[in-house]
Amino acid sequence: MFAEFGVANLRPLLDGAILTLYLVAMSGFFGTIIGLVFGMARVAPFAPVRWVAATYVNFIRGQPVLIILLFLYYAIPLMVPSATFARGPTAIIGLSVYAGAYIAEIVRGAIESVPRGQGEAASALGMGYLLRYRYVVLPQAMKVAVPPSIGFLISLVKASSLVSVINYVELTKAGAIVSNLNQEPLVTFLVVAALYFALSYPIALFGRWYERRLV
Amino acid sequence: MNPIVSVEGLRKNFGKLEVLRGIDCEVETNEVVCVIGPSGSGKSTFLRCLNLLESITAGTVVVNGHKLTEPRPDLNRVRQDVGMVFQQFNVFPHMKVLDNVTLAPIKVSKHPPDQVRERAWALLEKVGLTDKADVYPSKLSGGQQQRVAIARALAMQPKVMLFDEPTSALDPETVGEVLAVMKDLAREEMTMVVVTHEMGFAREVADRVIFMDHGVIVEEGDPAQIFDNPQQERTQAFLSKIL
Repeated sequence: MFAEFGVANLRPLLDGAILTLYLVAMSGFFGTIIGLVFGMARVAPFAPVRWVAATYVNFIRGQPVLIILLFLYYAIPLMVPSATFARGPTAIIGLSVYAGAYIAEIVRGAIESVPRGQGEAASALGMGYLLRYRYVVLPQAMKVAVPPSIGFLISLVKASSLVSVINYVELTKAGAIVSNLNQEPLVTFLVVAALYFALSYPIALFGRWYERRLV
Repeated sequence: MNPIVSVEGLRKNFGKLEVLRGIDCEVETNEVVCVIGPSGSGKSTFLRCLNLLESITAGTVVVNGHKLTEPRPDLNRVRQDVGMVFQQFNVFPHMKVLDNVTLAPIKVSKHPPDQVRERAWALLEKVGLTDKADVYPSKLSGGQQQRVAIARALAMQPKVMLFDEPTSALDPETVGEVLAVMKDLAREEMTMVVVTHEMGFAREVADRVIFMDHGVIVEEGDPAQIFDNPQQERTQAFLSKIL
């Protein structure tokens, strides 16, 4: 049955897989930046900064990704017409906002795992906040943050399937369209599943390699 | 009289708990002061107030001409003149020994890296660790890590060194090497404030010994006076328990 499936069906699925990869790469990148900033803000010395960061993190973590995407694509343009974006950018913004909140929590936990004495030793040497974080706290926190971030990246691959709800044709949406046309949902979604696995398993392997390197 | 540290009416509360209840004290340039006392007496907190690792509830603290108790002291400037050595060493585990020593002089004092490295080598020689310059701290014993921490603090060319129970977390066999480095420093006339349980060290090296209990200075004087002829009952009771 796979032989009959053919290039005509496979091609759009591969294109979808590439777009999924693109979505995950972009939102993983921006999510990491958001996560770093808000993770540091969560433990900032200035209380209002902590409150803002905590509000963002808690609010976003309390929302389904689906709602974030629907809100960005359908609701916000009604309030702010200039914030109307095409599907691709909307998908990236939505997933980045979602990823940022989770990575912020990972970063916060990692920063808190660095012993207090490290920051104190840096302070005692006359290092201000920026130097202390840049050279002493963050390098140690990042080692702790990488393994759970890789785990999160794998769930981001899967969460990216939800952008099909705003009709962005990534792997899941491509699968739905193809199976509609060829009336072969079994084979089509088996191929889709195989492609998702091909995207996420290397990330898991990388994570395992990284953790082994740490020991 | 030229006090480099002068403390007046220093008070420190942690919430409702009064840890320091009015400390008055001066430290002269080139003086070695050892602070002794039972745990919970506030001696570590006192030391940590001298570089503002603890905020000060009330009183005046002046270190090397900087008034720490004014509204917004230039903390990083003050701390560059005040070296600190911790009970738990707190060496930076992600940096090699030499980089531990050179980090702050390069990034904070902005001294030229070549010159800093040269100075760092000299300091590692002083603490006897030139062969470990390229090693990560996790490969070192506690005593070696503490000697790295001392070299790291000295690299900032501080005017005064604070030691917070520097040998309390060490294996007994490595205590001596750390004390030896501190004795060398004292001989070179470094100004030092040392919170310690090493009475032998205090007796031998200190110019003055301060006995603290319950957040106040109970008694102070030269080592012979404090150890051989303590005037206060609480001092006598403490010393009889540990000597």
